[in-house]
Amino acid sequence: MIARLRDARFLSLAFALAMLVAAFAFPRAEVVRNGADVLATLDITGSMNTRDYSLDGAPASRIEFAKQALRRLVADLPCPSRVGLAIFTEREPFLLFEPIDVCENFAALDAAIGTLDWRMAWEGDSRISAGLFRAVEMARRTGADLLFITDGQEAPPLPAYGAPVFDGQRGEISGLILGAGGYEPAPIPKFDDRGRETGFFGVDEVPHESRFGLPPPDAEQREGYNPRNAPFGGEMRAGTEHLSSVREPYLRQLAETTGLGYAHLEKPDGLASALLAVARPRPSLAPFDLRPAFAAAALVGFASLYLIVPLAEIFTRRRHSRLATTRSRRIE
Amino acid sequence: MSFGLASPLALFLLPLALAPLLFSPLRLSPISSVSAAPQDALSTLVAWALRLLASLAIGASTLAVAGPFREGRAIQRYGEGAEISILIDRSASMNETFAGRTPAGGEESKASAAKRFMTDFVDRRAHDLFGVTAFSTSPIMVMPMTNHRAAVRAAIQAIDRPGLGYTNIGRGLAMALSQFPAGGEIESRVILLVSDGAAVIDPRIQDQLRADFRKIRPNLYWLFLRTSGAKGISDQPDAGELDTPQALPERHLDLFFKSLGIGYRAFEAEGPAAVADAIAEIDRLERRPFRYVERIPRKDLTDHSLIVAAFATSVLVVAKFAETRLKQTARAGASPQFAKRAA
Repeated sequence: MIARLRDARFLSLAFALAMLVAAFAFPRAEVVRNGADVLATLDITGSMNTRDYSLDGAPASRIEFAKQALRRLVADLPCPSRVGLAIFTEREPFLLFEPIDVCENFAALDAAIGTLDWRMAWEGDSRISAGLFRAVEMARRTGADLLFITDGQEAPPLPAYGAPVFDGQRGEISGLILGAGGYEPAPIPKFDDRGRETGFFGVDEVPHESRFGLPPPDAEQREGYNPRNAPFGGEMRAGTEHLSSVREPYLRQLAETTGLGYAHLEKPDGLASALLAVARPRPSLAPFDLRPAFAAAALVGFASLYLIVPLAEIFTRRRHSRLATTRSRRIE
Repeated sequence: MSFGLASPLALFLLPLALAPLLFSPLRLSPISSVSAAPQDALSTLVAWALRLLASLAIGASTLAVAGPFREGRAIQRYGEGAEISILIDRSASMNETFAGRTPAGGEESKASAAKRFMTDFVDRRAHDLFGVTAFSTSPIMVMPMTNHRAAVRAAIQAIDRPGLGYTNIGRGLAMALSQFPAGGEIESRVILLVSDGAAVIDPRIQDQLRADFRKIRPNLYWLFLRTSGAKGISDQPDAGELDTPQALPERHLDLFFKSLGIGYRAFEAEGPAAVADAIAEIDRLERRPFRYVERIPRKDLTDHSLIVAAFATSVLVVAKFAETRLKQTARAGASPQFAKRAA
């Protein structure tokens, strides 16, 4: 028996068998994995129809591109993650469904993201800050982190006194505001009431200034200003609200107010890592399969038995014989 | 039936299985040449069996590293069930109680009652496919037709959130119809409309709906959550009142559904208990034979290859135990073990 224990071949083989038996004895271990719970809210207002992205070489609207990014996100999130979906228009996020497990319900999630469409919008307005604040509240109630995808274009524009005040607690909800859209202003497609595209919004078809509340301080210098009859000036001002680009400074400011992160949507992949960097980790125990590792260890045993030990022996034998020949030569 | 590997790159280790053909697992012996031992068939057989077993052990271990599995597949089964397209009213009035007030204290809104009973309903129907559509001013595709129960439940959990806008039932119906896959056999198809009011359907959309209903032929159930004091489905116009869809939308929607020539039933519920009864009745009615697809999940085969590897390795270990010192056996004559050295 002792002789066997000294035999490197026997030891290698015994090790291989021990590893194979261990694979049955300890097939899996529990490891902590960090997933995320995400409430993805997609802005489906008119400006999100602007086609300033491209997918597979064809121009794609911001909604289409964001959908592609969301589908990749669902596929890329690590396994104990959950994703819920909401759409946003006017000032209200509308919860489609509460967060569900991405791995068990991948097909359902993928299909649900695929059907998102601007035609689901029930109102034409796009009050981003109000919608964002309500989405933060909705995420807080569902206990998830928020992913808010928007181009940041308020329609109608914010009044002179600025955006509504955020009354939540800054940083209570973690998450990401994802700015969709290019930096160059692009025309916004226009649709008729049956959903058919009829061209682009013209400069005279959208309000360029909000006339709610108090007039801005510079109103007195405007032409046709009258304190009672025309407090905002005599003429509607023409601006660039009929064109759309991602309003990054505004979104960064909103992110600062709410304590969310900000990122620009540039490519359809990579969203998962950006989100996981800011999301609260949701640790959960996941089984980890140890059997391949044990099988690999057994292979090391076999490699030792059939390659390393025989080759080592051949080398030592060669050296011995070479030594023997040189010694015999010296004797001669 | 098809097979796959979790990490196919591990197969690059497979050439190791050829090593047993070149080298022996047995000890070196001081015999200078194999020719010293006489040839015999049994020894050759044992030698080859050991080589093959070793190759098998290595091959099976490599396969275990690669993680073999049998692909999951979908098989068709017959059972009782249906494709159910749920169409839910998400207009603001759904958040009121059956008495038409904002819920206070222990009161339950119409949406909450619907949510509670619909969740039960979904849990009871084991083989059904569900699709969820919501509608207010515009139709909203919430969850396309799926057999993922958790996803459907999550969609129904969301229906008692604050609603929005008005009731545009026509477009909602069109989208609920679009939940059914185009073409294919007409199976057991159901539209379950849950609303607390009706609205005038645009005549243009009416024609399109008629055509779609004729094509898809679903059974239609209308669960009408009637607020007390509101007009009901069977209300006749009062004397002097005009009998128009604008004045009596519920009655006219009911007439429209009856004129479609499909299986149709309306349930008028004026409280949570009535909702429960209606849903139980629908559950009882929709028990038709139904062909559904069951997914067989992928089956992991790592254990199988590990068993093969462990078995082959144990035989090799036994062979190692049978191995003896040549000096002792040389005196006893040529035993099979001795000859095995020749391998």
